[in-house]
Amino acid sequence: MSSESSLFSHRWLPLLLAAPMLLLILIFFYAPIIQAFYWSFFLERPFGGGSEFVGWDNFRRVLADPEFWNAGWRTVIFMVVASSLAVALPLILAVAADRKIRLSLTARNVLVWPKGVAGASIGVVFAFVFNPFVGILAPINHVFPGAWAPGLDGTDAFITLIIAHVWGGIPFNFVILLAGLQSIPRTMFQAAAMDGAGPWRRIFDVQLPLIMPQLFLTLVLEFTESVTSAFALIDTITKGGPGGSTNLLVYKIYTDGFSGYDLSGASTQTAILMVFVAFLTAAQFLLLGRSVNYER
Amino acid sequence: MKISILVAAAALLTAACSSAQAANFEFWYGNTGSVEKAILAQCDAFNASQSANHVTCVGQGSYEVSMQKAIAAYRSNKHPVLIQFFDAGTLDLLLSDAVVPVQDVLPDVDWNNYIKGARSYYETSGGKLYSQPYNASTLLFYVNKTELEKAGVTEMPKTWEDIIEAARKLKAAGHECPYVTNGEPWSMFEQFSARHGLPIASEHNGYDGLNAEYVFNTTFVAKHLQNLVDWRKEGLVKIASDTKAGNYTAAFNSGECAMMENSSGSYTDSAKAFDGKYELSVNLTPMYKGYERHNTFVGGASIYIMKGHEQAEIDGAKAFLDFLRKPEQQMFMTASTGYVPVTTDVLDAIAKSGDAGSRKYATASVGIESMNEPGTPDTRGIRLGFYVQFRSVLMEETQKAFAGTETMQVALDNAKKRGDELLRRFEQTYKTAKLP
Repeated sequence: MSSESSLFSHRWLPLLLAAPMLLLILIFFYAPIIQAFYWSFFLERPFGGGSEFVGWDNFRRVLADPEFWNAGWRTVIFMVVASSLAVALPLILAVAADRKIRLSLTARNVLVWPKGVAGASIGVVFAFVFNPFVGILAPINHVFPGAWAPGLDGTDAFITLIIAHVWGGIPFNFVILLAGLQSIPRTMFQAAAMDGAGPWRRIFDVQLPLIMPQLFLTLVLEFTESVTSAFALIDTITKGGPGGSTNLLVYKIYTDGFSGYDLSGASTQTAILMVFVAFLTAAQFLLLGRSVNYER
Repeated sequence: MKISILVAAAALLTAACSSAQAANFEFWYGNTGSVEKAILAQCDAFNASQSANHVTCVGQGSYEVSMQKAIAAYRSNKHPVLIQFFDAGTLDLLLSDAVVPVQDVLPDVDWNNYIKGARSYYETSGGKLYSQPYNASTLLFYVNKTELEKAGVTEMPKTWEDIIEAARKLKAAGHECPYVTNGEPWSMFEQFSARHGLPIASEHNGYDGLNAEYVFNTTFVAKHLQNLVDWRKEGLVKIASDTKAGNYTAAFNSGECAMMENSSGSYTDSAKAFDGKYELSVNLTPMYKGYERHNTFVGGASIYIMKGHEQAEIDGAKAFLDFLRKPEQQMFMTASTGYVPVTTDVLDAIAKSGDAGSRKYATASVGIESMNEPGTPDTRGIRLGFYVQFRSVLMEETQKAFAGTETMQVALDNAKKRGDELLRRFEQTYKTAKLP
């Protein structure tokens, strides 16, 4: 690593080159975050004027609010279920596409396409796909009326969200995992095969341990992203309903702040969510990251 | 450092622009579709009618986005002179210190000309009008006459008892969706409370102070909402998500459902959809027997004058507001959208126009009649803090009751509890402000 830093001889040049990006991050990321943390200690009026410092009051109130905890638990459930599936499914697909089977080249290409679809568009499409009257599950409703009712049943709505999220997450994770699998030297495989290891054995003892860095990366990204990226899906499919059953924290913050003009409440929840995601990522690096071996 | 230079440059630029075009001013609105077309036509007509002032009308896509942008713009001093805000944001505006009451800016206008229901929603408890009602709507009762007659109902329902009797006949005739509701507070809860004379919160729905508390869970509206749940079980009532269309207006317009309560603003679409297929009947919203009818609330939006502008711009804005108030402009708005006129002289103008029986004015007289029914201090309007948030709380809780996970009474008690917490925080946020 130390040899690479000598590539730039000038001391300020690297910083100068990075400055535009740093400035953007500063203006569009750190400034709003600081503002949110600042507002979370005030009772802020939407049109300004007369804001009042209230110390930790906002935090005390939010943490005592059962609706915040409900939304928080829904966020955690969504995070665990959706991101596990969004890594597990692409892993299966990548392992399949990595083997020299027919159509694996086509599959590699086709599976990347959903990456080009915006979250909101995915939401609109899935709202139709899972419509109880005209969607793919409509036949079930013909036999058992009311069995699939995402407009009424919170669990059905939640399942729709998870499927839409996993579908949208497949391409990126697939590309990363496949790249990892393809970088494994063939000779290792051949050696394992010669020692009598079957296909399953080779997957679990050779492939999976060797793509740990990629798996770790996709998991960390998925966990942090699933907290926020569900927004577009919720906004287009369920609007947080029915009965608040798909109201995840990120959507609750938006509606509180932008529809309800409750800037302090929304800022406080943003601050709490930020700290939570930071802790989560740190925990993943500390606990999981240690066991990941980057050397080959 | 860099940011401050940028800000300074931007400030200089805007200063240069605004001084060059002094009689120019902006008006922000939130509507889309046919309403937006009508608004833009009015802007063009104003600009063509005189040369002293020029209005630039800027569409923001929705009422909520318009409000969000107004908040951000006001904080950075880039706000327009005129802005349209929707009914539920009234209290936020009244306390914002960002607007000037229209009655102060235009003291010579005969504001008593405004129909009562439209006026009281936007005036202070002392009776001063804060904003000029613009695209006003109210709740009306829509009936698919053809379907009802097919089921043997010849007299159009006027009471809830009539509706249920008709719904049972429709169901017996094999109709799958006699009555549909969107389950939204504005139509199912607020307008019902108003016309039955029921308070939503203490302090006359907040008009008399920020210390109001919700009381709706103890009034007759609780019984009505429980009735809706029971009728839904009986197959007489559907909520939007029960319908094939997934949207109650579409479900009614396509003929899937036979009766609904909807804004007068959706009349034009329903009439177009029914053309040649069904006969549409639009009436006053139903009452329960034994209850005296009171006025319904105004919906839609009104126009506010924002603070911090030069006199020339304000003069232009005044001219534009005068223009919009003219009977022929209001008639144009009513004819092209189904929104209801807001001043009493417009009805006379319609009667004189020779077009009085025309379909395009069908909502005008019934809408005005509905908003002009006798009122009580509880039917002036809703002046409650974080009310937009409360609407989603109420929606969330009642959805649980419709899904059967809790009873309507429990749902309403929960909504009251959560609503009161919002009110207390709002009260604390505006501790130093005075409710006008």
